Amino acid sequence: MSSNTKSLAPKVTLDGSQLSILNTRFEGVSKKMSNTLLRTGRSGVLNRARDFSCCVVTHNNELLNAVESLPIHVLSGPDLMAKTMIAYHPTLKKGDAFLHNSPYHGCSHAADHSILMPVIDDKGLHHFTVVAKAHQADIGNSIPTTYFGDAKDVYQEGALIFPATKVLENYHPIEDIVRMCKMRIRVPDQWHGDFMAMIGAARIGEQEILKLAEEFGWDTLHAFEEQWFNYSETLMDAALKQLPEGYFTATSTHDAMEGTLGNEVKIQAEVSIDPSEGTVSVDLSDNPDCLPCGLNVSEACVRTSAMIGIFNSIDHQVPKNAGSFRRIQLTLRENCIVGIPNHPTSCSAATTNVSDRIANAVQIAISEIAEGYGMAEIGSNLPPSRGVFSGIDPRTFGAFINQVFLGSSGGGASPNADGWFHYSHAGNGGMGFIDSVELAELYQPIIVNHREIVRDSEGAGRYRGAPSKRIEFTAIKGAQVDVAFVTDGIDNPPQGAAYGESSQGASQYLVDKQGVISTLGNSEVTNLTSEYTLVSVTCGGGGYGKATSREPKRVLLDVIEGVVSLQKAKDTYAVHISEQLKLDEIATEQLRRSYR
Amino acid sequence: MRFATDTGGTFTDLVIEDDQGNLHMYKSPTTPNDPVAGVLNALQVAADDMGLSLDALMSKGDTFIHGTTHALNAIIEGQTAKTAFITTKGHKDILLMREGGRLEPFNHAQQYPAPYIPRSLSYAVSERIHADGNIQESLKESDVLEAIEAIKSNKVEAVSVCLLWSVVNPTHELEIAKLLEQHLPGIPYSLSHQLNPVMREYRRASATSIDASLKPLMSSYLGGLTERLRNANYKGRILVLTSQGGMLDAELLAQTPIQVLNSGPAMAPVAGGYYGSVDDIEGKNRDIIVADTGGTTYDVSLVRNGVIPLTREMWIGKPYLGHITGFPSVDITSVGAGGGSIAWVDAGGILHVGPQSQGAKPGPACYNLGGDKATVTDAAVALGYIDPDFFLGGKMQLDGEASKRVIQQNVANKLGISLLQASAAIIKLATENMAQAIIDITVNQGVDPTQSVLIGGGGAAGLNSIFIARRLDCPELIVPEVGATMSAAGATIADLSADYHRALFVRSNDFDFESANILLSELYSQCQAFIDASGQDSFEQSIEFSVEARYENQVWEIDIPLSNILIIGVDELNQIVEEFHRSHERLFSFSDPNSAIEIVNWSAKVRCRLRSEHAGRLVEEQSDNLLMTKRKTYFDGYGSVETPIYRFSAMPIDKIFKGPAIVESPFTSIVVDPVATFTRSLTGNLIIKP
Repeated sequence: MSSNTKSLAPKVTLDGSQLSILNTRFEGVSKKMSNTLLRTGRSGVLNRARDFSCCVVTHNNELLNAVESLPIHVLSGPDLMAKTMIAYHPTLKKGDAFLHNSPYHGCSHAADHSILMPVIDDKGLHHFTVVAKAHQADIGNSIPTTYFGDAKDVYQEGALIFPATKVLENYHPIEDIVRMCKMRIRVPDQWHGDFMAMIGAARIGEQEILKLAEEFGWDTLHAFEEQWFNYSETLMDAALKQLPEGYFTATSTHDAMEGTLGNEVKIQAEVSIDPSEGTVSVDLSDNPDCLPCGLNVSEACVRTSAMIGIFNSIDHQVPKNAGSFRRIQLTLRENCIVGIPNHPTSCSAATTNVSDRIANAVQIAISEIAEGYGMAEIGSNLPPSRGVFSGIDPRTFGAFINQVFLGSSGGGASPNADGWFHYSHAGNGGMGFIDSVELAELYQPIIVNHREIVRDSEGAGRYRGAPSKRIEFTAIKGAQVDVAFVTDGIDNPPQGAAYGESSQGASQYLVDKQGVISTLGNSEVTNLTSEYTLVSVTCGGGGYGKATSREPKRVLLDVIEGVVSLQKAKDTYAVHISEQLKLDEIATEQLRRSYR
Repeated sequence: MRFATDTGGTFTDLVIEDDQGNLHMYKSPTTPNDPVAGVLNALQVAADDMGLSLDALMSKGDTFIHGTTHALNAIIEGQTAKTAFITTKGHKDILLMREGGRLEPFNHAQQYPAPYIPRSLSYAVSERIHADGNIQESLKESDVLEAIEAIKSNKVEAVSVCLLWSVVNPTHELEIAKLLEQHLPGIPYSLSHQLNPVMREYRRASATSIDASLKPLMSSYLGGLTERLRNANYKGRILVLTSQGGMLDAELLAQTPIQVLNSGPAMAPVAGGYYGSVDDIEGKNRDIIVADTGGTTYDVSLVRNGVIPLTREMWIGKPYLGHITGFPSVDITSVGAGGGSIAWVDAGGILHVGPQSQGAKPGPACYNLGGDKATVTDAAVALGYIDPDFFLGGKMQLDGEASKRVIQQNVANKLGISLLQASAAIIKLATENMAQAIIDITVNQGVDPTQSVLIGGGGAAGLNSIFIARRLDCPELIVPEVGATMSAAGATIADLSADYHRALFVRSNDFDFESANILLSELYSQCQAFIDASGQDSFEQSIEFSVEARYENQVWEIDIPLSNILIIGVDELNQIVEEFHRSHERLFSFSDPNSAIEIVNWSAKVRCRLRSEHAGRLVEEQSDNLLMTKRKTYFDGYGSVETPIYRFSAMPIDKIFKGPAIVESPFTSIVVDPVATFTRSLTGNLIIKP
């Protein structure tokens, strides 16, 4: 019984080689779970875009590792969800598993169905919890999308909410729950396929940990936890000690939408770094109250997003787990749009829009405190090219619904490299896949006419942000495709850091056969037919450092490759390149001196 | 007499099978600037050993088999042809877009990979075909001609053509081919629907571009090889190993050089499959895990149910950062772990082994070539697993004290443990890294290590294969007598083979029998044509069909062999669906019997057996001196124990020995821990039961 677990005190001391081996073994557990889920998932959001994560949480509900997971899914969330599971089910039994998607109880948002399976030994003691979390193609919202930006509250959102609800007993699914889901969730067989795949992944995780215990003994595994956390904390301490002491408040602004009552949402992060103590703190309490829309950020995502901003800014080799998290202090308040939302506040789009603004504000603040650290703003999410597509396919007469990943926003530049080309959004870290045009056309009744980068869209800088992508698509004859999106970054494109420049923002519109353009709102469900082409331009990423300090050879390569125009090379980067695409180093140096 | 050569990173291996069926093994250093010279050097070493002139040796040969990393190296070093990319208008960025994904979401020092062919050499032409094969927009010839002009003025040497949905309707790619032939005579090109007919435009485009970019280089390399062998008086057939684990005539392979990318390593499972089953007198028919330990990498491949699994996810370089070949190749998982891997302790006091490697130069500290870092080989020396005076049969003197010194300083002192404990920890961690590589591939391919045989191949396999087998609970470890030259040994028993692929999307609940059967008969004709051309002198021929299938809406397919199926009717379809459910259950521990399945890709493999008899046996020095010596070796959990050192060639057949022991041959030393038993089989394998 889980109440006994508090007595599991570590008695074993492991040396640096034993720790290394056990870490590799535990990472192997998460990898094996992820591998299974990727290959067996049924919805495109899971198996084409890899919008899922698998991890292991200790019996004290602390995150053990985040290997191969989407950052926004795991840094915080699995810990809070496991805590709920134990609170609501004090007696855990072998073969139990729980479905969790409640943003009021630790889940990121309702779309991220999570399976939690406690790992229980033969005596009935609870030792670990394995978590498989996957963004669903549909969750039964009142409109066909998993991101309902304008939802006034959870009731208008409409999804079934599971606050750690038992769905597996003795390793058998509880069919009552399955039937409820099948009555509410669109394309129920697709959901059921994903549900089975998640249970399969969780079982693999459970079996692997049981095998580990057989080999090493539970005491050793628990000793590992504690020592591994201490080790991670040491590395975090060392990483933070490299930074100067400082304090800065940076902001990042989400576009105005109908749901935000027509106002922009400016998120501010007060960041302070104390290298002598080896700590970093982020105060998010001085931000607006929750709004009657789906953009409020769940507690799990607020915590995670602030940590993403921090980990994006420091030595990437620091392990991400409860040990390194000890050096992070977060200040949140209840009923804050980036704090702790209360039921029935809607958090439908909590993993992306406003949430990404937290990470962006934090990493910009760190770039202000410490030259050579931090990162520029990452492109915002949920343009129509990453919308939820649904309808009836006239080729098969079958219903379809899925988030489609035709083109993503770009990454912001870091002090050491250009922005990652496909970043998706701050919470994703570029882990997600994109759809191939052919598979997208096979699975949805659409035609993708164009998918290329946009020249001169990058945020200029010593290191530049990634360029925007332009995606054009239409429906096949006879099809009506509902495209749901919540585009941020139209009015507030990604900012640069350390004097780097902003990139191009998002834009989107419809074009009819005569070439007449009609604009689209930023949060809509558009009904697309073959009469129109939807044009979706994604955000690029912000630049880092002064554009005039970029290596001229890199600018030349960008010009040759058509990423940057000759004109922009000269005007923004102060690099002189001839029409024959030859770099004139002397003219460049003269130009750069005149700019100083 | 047949010659099998494999040009590796450090050594060029040569295995000669004489007319009595005896094998002779030779090694000579690889000559990177002119790899053929390294091959000829190895042959010269053999000629000297046999007391023949090179001419005389070569004139005895009837089959010359060659494995080469030349194509792979050219890509890694950026030495391929200047290649242009022609694609559908609006999709110029296929090679830049790739498929997304990465492994390190917080590593912002990592630059996004450049496209395989730059945008500045990519040309988009107006045309569009739909998913159903209908032409939405005809090919605009003037666009193609404009691209051709630009290609001319840019002095491009090869052209890659990949249009959207060409797998369903190749008309436009064929029209472009005509224009290329007409206006760019002599410039090689590759068409995506012919080379790699698979849905997902990036994978197809990547394969096509890699293939085109290798054409000039590989035709001149293979042409040069042929010419120099002929000049050396060789009159027989010249075959080259493929990434699919077969071999093809050199001139045929030059037409699709992408097939040569992994030519040597793909032979390891061919050899492993043979040596793993040759002693299986009880007919257990177990799956086989084949490991090949080199100086810097550890390669793992499989034989599942007698078949070597293929994958389309072969990366040149790191996953998501290198280039995917997208072309079905023997599935090999590779990790940076080997004898040269460096052991180091980080600021937080944790031991790491690799991924950095000392390589061959400066190599491990014991080589005395200036290496000052502790490596896996140093740990093996410190533990007594390697005799510094009998390394490579005594050909190279090692400095055991240097090994101890670097381990003491770099590892033991920092971890606060003894020298021997530290050395054992290094081996243990290297073992774990290797075990994880095996777990990765076995999970993906649905193989259970606890029911499989592990084959330890490669020169350094003997050092820790026993620990890997124990870690994974493998019931049996086999170190073949030719283990040190696994790929070359595999080449002597490989079949001539070719693969043909088609894309056709069908669902089991709405099956298009007519299209499927037309497709199968076309594939069959292709195979038959291969037999008539390349395989006419072979002893035995076979054609096997397989499909790549998945549940509705899944996107990752499973290979399903169509055993004995030549035509698909209702019964055969049910049989395929049943086999799919079983495979899914085995791979992922569940199936969904109510779901329809989707078949996406269709393949035919034709094999022609070029030999009528079993593999040859190694000729070795005769020796009665079984027990060479005894020395102290250290085993984790047992401490230092007095260990007998046996000579491999002097071991009696079928006698059961007990560990601890070290079995030495001129090519390798094999560690047996205190609880294992081992025996030498009639076929020359060392069989170890952990």
